Amino acid sequence: MTVHVASVGVGRFGKRREGLIELAAEAAGLALEGIGRKPVDLLVVGTMLGHGPQGPEPFLPRLASQLSLEAASGLRAESTSGTGAMAFHVAVDALETGRFDRALVVAAEKMTDRTTPEITGELAASLHPSEAAHGATMPALASLVTQRYLERHDLPVSAIDLPSVHARAMATRNPNAMFQSAVTAAEVAASRPVATPLRLLHCSAIADGAAAVVLERGGGPATVLGLGQGLESMRIVDRADLTTFAATRIAAQRAYEAARITRKEVGVLEVHDAFSPFSLIHLEDLGICGPGEASRWFERGWVGPAGRLPVNPSGGLIGRGHPIAATGLTGIAEIAAQLMGEAGARAVSPRPKIGLAHAVSGLAAHNFVTILGSPTA
Amino acid sequence: MTKPAATLVLTRCEVCRTRFVPTDAPCPKCGSTRTHPYPVPDAGRAVAVTELSSPAPGWAAPHRLALVEVADGVRLLAVVEGALPAVGDAVTVRLDGDVYRVLHRHKGPEGRGEGDFPKTRAHGSSFEPPR
Repeated sequence: MTVHVASVGVGRFGKRREGLIELAAEAAGLALEGIGRKPVDLLVVGTMLGHGPQGPEPFLPRLASQLSLEAASGLRAESTSGTGAMAFHVAVDALETGRFDRALVVAAEKMTDRTTPEITGELAASLHPSEAAHGATMPALASLVTQRYLERHDLPVSAIDLPSVHARAMATRNPNAMFQSAVTAAEVAASRPVATPLRLLHCSAIADGAAAVVLERGGGPATVLGLGQGLESMRIVDRADLTTFAATRIAAQRAYEAARITRKEVGVLEVHDAFSPFSLIHLEDLGICGPGEASRWFERGWVGPAGRLPVNPSGGLIGRGHPIAATGLTGIAEIAAQLMGEAGARAVSPRPKIGLAHAVSGLAAHNFVTILGSPTA
Repeated sequence: MTKPAATLVLTRCEVCRTRFVPTDAPCPKCGSTRTHPYPVPDAGRAVAVTELSSPAPGWAAPHRLALVEVADGVRLLAVVEGALPAVGDAVTVRLDGDVYRVLHRHKGPEGRGEGDFPKTRAHGSSFEPPR
């Protein structure tokens, strides 16, 4: 059964006054406006932390109530930073059973109401307990991956600066992005060390934010062509190779096969750049280029909005901010907006017929690939 | 009298022969529970190192971590005591409760001296190699 994205809604990311439910309702409202408030019979939601003012929110009933969706059915997805993509996949699977006609998918995170140490502690749940027990954080493990990657391909540390420059440049065209100013490679390289060699501007930022998508049966410019997920050992010490993420390669292979396309047909890409070096690894794992070649794509501007393959026209995680659960759905919403000609100032050229959104959970332990496009492409 | 070589304990899967850092989970490669501990020397080599300005709660900054390769190509994550080793440097590993700790070895691969762990440590559990 064919399913397509009919409408998307993304609110502003960053430090917001509103709470989790209000942020989610705002994005949902934008997506529902886009379909003229036609009724939805399925609500699929995602949040990792579920922060409410007094503690964990019962996210699904609170949001359903806020949106007066009592007539719908509800499901909740959770896989840390891959949550938003997972919620989308769950909704597609549910619509394909034929039991539902129209689904509203909403993913949101409220983060800035906690201190950075509190959030760091909560996000350590994305790591294997044995590695968290060593005082490891997500940036710490990312830095180890980065060193292995740079050493394997004999690249200078400066190779990880350009993806941040690109992300921040793209974000200046996105009014919803947390960061509205561009940065230079020199500024990235001089920013505060976080986990050597990673510096502040190599890392995505804690943010509040929400995204929503309406999925309907039938086809359109943002039809779901293929989905794929992959799982890999959470313990990084059990991985034979840290310079590539097996879960992305598995997810991509499954999605390309389901969509019956090759990576050469992808015209726009959103990848999960929680850390700038991961942009390089993701391009390689998605088959866009060979191992160690991705930095050249950034050096030569091939990832720009009119380049060979536009990457992260939304600004990615580094430009938008990273409200954990919302991120994966935001990448999908961006691809859909680009395909539907609704990306405004962020529109890539020429308008793509097929786009791919990639999302990562934890340190790439559960990754998602979503391919959207025109079914006749 | 020479000091007996200190050892670490790794795990070997009896089905697929994968060797790995001990875990309460089955073999990470094949899922078998037929696994056995076996001793290896406490010497390793740093394959990646990092210094964190904001470690996980409960740890003081700066916090230093190393990914260390020990015998049979097995890698473990360890807290670095003292100076951060460079990638490729030899380190000595010990298990302290649930936490691996490494110390930069200043002498060559055979040398054991100023790089050794002190016999007793302020924060408690001393490392007792299995006999």
